[in-house]
Amino acid sequence: MAAKFLKSAVFTKVIFVVSLFLILFIAGLGYKHMTEVSESQESVMHTYKVNVELEQILSYLKDAETGQRGFIITQDSIYLEPFFEGRGKINNTFAELKQLTKDDREQTENLRLLNELIEERLEYFQIASTYALKDQTDLLRFKKVFFEGKMTMDAIRVKLNEMILLENERLLKRKQAYESISNITPLFLFGLIVFTLLLLYLSYARISVNLDKITASNKELNVFKELTNQSEMINKHGSWRWNVNTDEFSFSDNLFRLLGEQPNSFAPTIENFMRFVHPEDVETLKDQVAQMKVDMDLPFIYYRVVHKNGTIRYLKAYGKSIMDTEGNVQLLGTTTDITDEIDSFNALQKRNKELELNNKELAAFNYVASHDLQEPLRKIQTFLSRLEDSEATSLTEKGQTYMQRINVAASRMRLLIDDLLQYSRSSKSDEDKVPSDLNELLQSALIELEEPIENNQAEIVADPLPELQVVPFQIQQLFINLIGNALKYRKEETAPVVRIQYSSVDKTDHPILSQSVAERFHKIDFKDNGIGFESEYGEKIFTLFTRLHNKDEYSGTGIGLAICRKITDNHRGHITATATPGSGAIFTIYLPE
Amino acid sequence: MKVFLKFDYNAVCMRVLEEKLDALGLDYQLSGFGEVDFLENLSSDKRAEFAGFLEPYNIEIVEEHKSILVQKIKDTIIDMVYNQDAELTVKSSVYLSEALGHSYGYLANLFSEVTFTSIEHFTILQKIEYTKHLILNEGMSLTEIAFKLNYSSVAHLSGQFKKTTGITPSAFQRIIAKRRENLN
Amino acid sequence: MASNYTHIILADDDEDDRMFFTDAFDELKIGTKVATFPDGIALMDYLNQSDAELPSILFLDLNMPRKNGKECLKEIRQNSRFNSVAVAIYSTSASEEDIEDTFVQGANVYIKKPSSFKKLKNVLSSVVATNWQYETSGLNRDNFLLRL
Repeated sequence: MAAKFLKSAVFTKVIFVVSLFLILFIAGLGYKHMTEVSESQESVMHTYKVNVELEQILSYLKDAETGQRGFIITQDSIYLEPFFEGRGKINNTFAELKQLTKDDREQTENLRLLNELIEERLEYFQIASTYALKDQTDLLRFKKVFFEGKMTMDAIRVKLNEMILLENERLLKRKQAYESISNITPLFLFGLIVFTLLLLYLSYARISVNLDKITASNKELNVFKELTNQSEMINKHGSWRWNVNTDEFSFSDNLFRLLGEQPNSFAPTIENFMRFVHPEDVETLKDQVAQMKVDMDLPFIYYRVVHKNGTIRYLKAYGKSIMDTEGNVQLLGTTTDITDEIDSFNALQKRNKELELNNKELAAFNYVASHDLQEPLRKIQTFLSRLEDSEATSLTEKGQTYMQRINVAASRMRLLIDDLLQYSRSSKSDEDKVPSDLNELLQSALIELEEPIENNQAEIVADPLPELQVVPFQIQQLFINLIGNALKYRKEETAPVVRIQYSSVDKTDHPILSQSVAERFHKIDFKDNGIGFESEYGEKIFTLFTRLHNKDEYSGTGIGLAICRKITDNHRGHITATATPGSGAIFTIYLPE
Repeated sequence: MKVFLKFDYNAVCMRVLEEKLDALGLDYQLSGFGEVDFLENLSSDKRAEFAGFLEPYNIEIVEEHKSILVQKIKDTIIDMVYNQDAELTVKSSVYLSEALGHSYGYLANLFSEVTFTSIEHFTILQKIEYTKHLILNEGMSLTEIAFKLNYSSVAHLSGQFKKTTGITPSAFQRIIAKRRENLN
Repeated sequence: MASNYTHIILADDDEDDRMFFTDAFDELKIGTKVATFPDGIALMDYLNQSDAELPSILFLDLNMPRKNGKECLKEIRQNSRFNSVAVAIYSTSASEEDIEDTFVQGANVYIKKPSSFKKLKNVLSSVVATNWQYETSGLNRDNFLLRL
């Protein structure tokens, strides 16, 4: 979850926003720092200004003092000029100072005291000057005033120094505060900038990785698109999209080709598309498209289109709607040209029909031939039997032998015809397959074989057999033929025993089954204790008219086992035989489960 | 709509006889096995009238002693087959001769002379017919029927069925089912 | 009183087979009266006469010109007048399909024409005997199915 968040686009956005805020913060901090620097410069300037102004006052006072002294000594009023000028200058300076220190209560107080002292001093100047004018300088009072003036002057000096000191002290404090700020700020700012850069780098890395990925997948997408185009061309596919929100269609290049047109040769709209649809299919297709817009889904539909050159092609289409992450719904569809399939299907069906017809004709011929042959043969035999019944005594011995020979020949012909008929009936299709209990069919077969079983005192031992979808009379015939065979080729002087053994096997267990579709088989063995046969004939005995014995030894047509093979083939099964001469044979049938 | 009926021929015949005899207004006693005992003398006119009543039902008056005896043999066999509840401890031949008071040889000869078939064959036929009835109307399985009719095995019963009718019990069942299907 | 012989009809286009058939019954001496018809049309013409004496057993060859045995069987089983007639198919072939089909269509007996005269007599006598049982022993005619 967390890892996923770290990789998401949202995370990148968060980094950007954080970086932005940090930069803003840095800018704000920088600005504050700058204002602080200019403020402290201003305060230095202020201090200097105040100090200068204060010095100025002292200097004016000194000038005034010097001028007064000159006047006192010389009595010349020219020396009083700086005094009068000084007075005005001091007032100006004072105003300046007042302005400068108006926010500083302590200095304002100091200034007020200073002002008083200066006023006092100037008063002393005034008084002393008056004494000097009256030339009473040596008077004690004068001297006292002069001294008082000097004392005041000293007090002013002290006050001024005090003020300058105070101002300097302030400056120092500000300087210290400023220094402490400007010592920390750069480090902090630097750290912040580095951190921000780091963040920016991180998001840059992210973006660049994503960009690489996007570029790579874009490349893949292009390859895929090209492959899709190729595959569409080779497979005669076309694809289309229907944007549900805008009701707009877009067609792939090959969809145009499926209509016999160049890509993008017309606007991809339903109306334009309909122009190519076979007139007989237009209505249906329109309904289907209308339904598609309602259902947001298109089941498999089939229709024909007519190219401009008149060729008719069969198309098959299918569509399914998808919703993207923004919730837009699109219907993606595929259209395929199935003309070739239909053509080959039709051809195949035609071939099948021909083949079926051929088979039917062959079977019908076989049936009719053997059926129609039966009739005259039956009459010959019936007439023969009547001759034997009533006229045999009047025949010579030779005549009687001939009649016997005729009888044997006729019986053999009957056997052949019966077997051929059965063979032709064994080619039945799946339609007649019904679920049947093989045990019942075996019982029926044994009932049919009742006579030879009783005559030969044969023993038949059978495992329980399964239930299976089969053509019942064919399987019954199969059992009759196999058990009948075992009875026929019995050993003389030995009562025949037939063991019917059942097991269920996997197709991988027996090489003969490896090509089969079915995975599992019912395996039924018919083991006898008869005369057996040479193993080399194991396969050959199943072909039509194959006989291993002279017909004088064993009556047989060579059709019985061919019928067996045909029946197992009909059931998609197999039949095999193994034997050793003199010790019996095993016939094995495999029927798919 | 189609419904299938199940009926007792004996009861039907008895009912018909009762109705007809009542219509004649004669005193009588029915003793089963198709025997009517008139308690008064039967005029030839009444006799003819009675025969006329029965003709539409294909019931005929048999008089010959031989025919009567054959009929009795048949009835006894049918009773034996259909009412196996009275577990037979003796062979059917013994049972027959005891029930009818004649030697089995005499009965067997008489029977084949009149019916062109043997008592054994007739018995088998009746058993197979009863089997058909049980398959179709009672829905019983062959195993159950073999047990009910004292066959040694199912194979024995189906073998006899096939031998008698030429078809297997399952083929029989299939054919009748298809017939009914066709009728609908 | 019903007649004391069994009335039997055969419809078969083959003259030899008709001959075997009548000869066999002649030799069986079981009180039968046999009539033969050379095809289905002639047979049905006869049966459809209102005063025709209906046979106990009707033997039908399947393969006949003009109207074959199956068509006759269908017509006969659709007409309740012939309910008492037992129908025996009498054919050269005995395909399972034909047997089951005709049984389903209402045939009572299916005979594959035997190839010896002796067998023929056996088969015919067994059909007559069985049919007689059905007629005289109160057996359910609907269940009368016999394959020989």
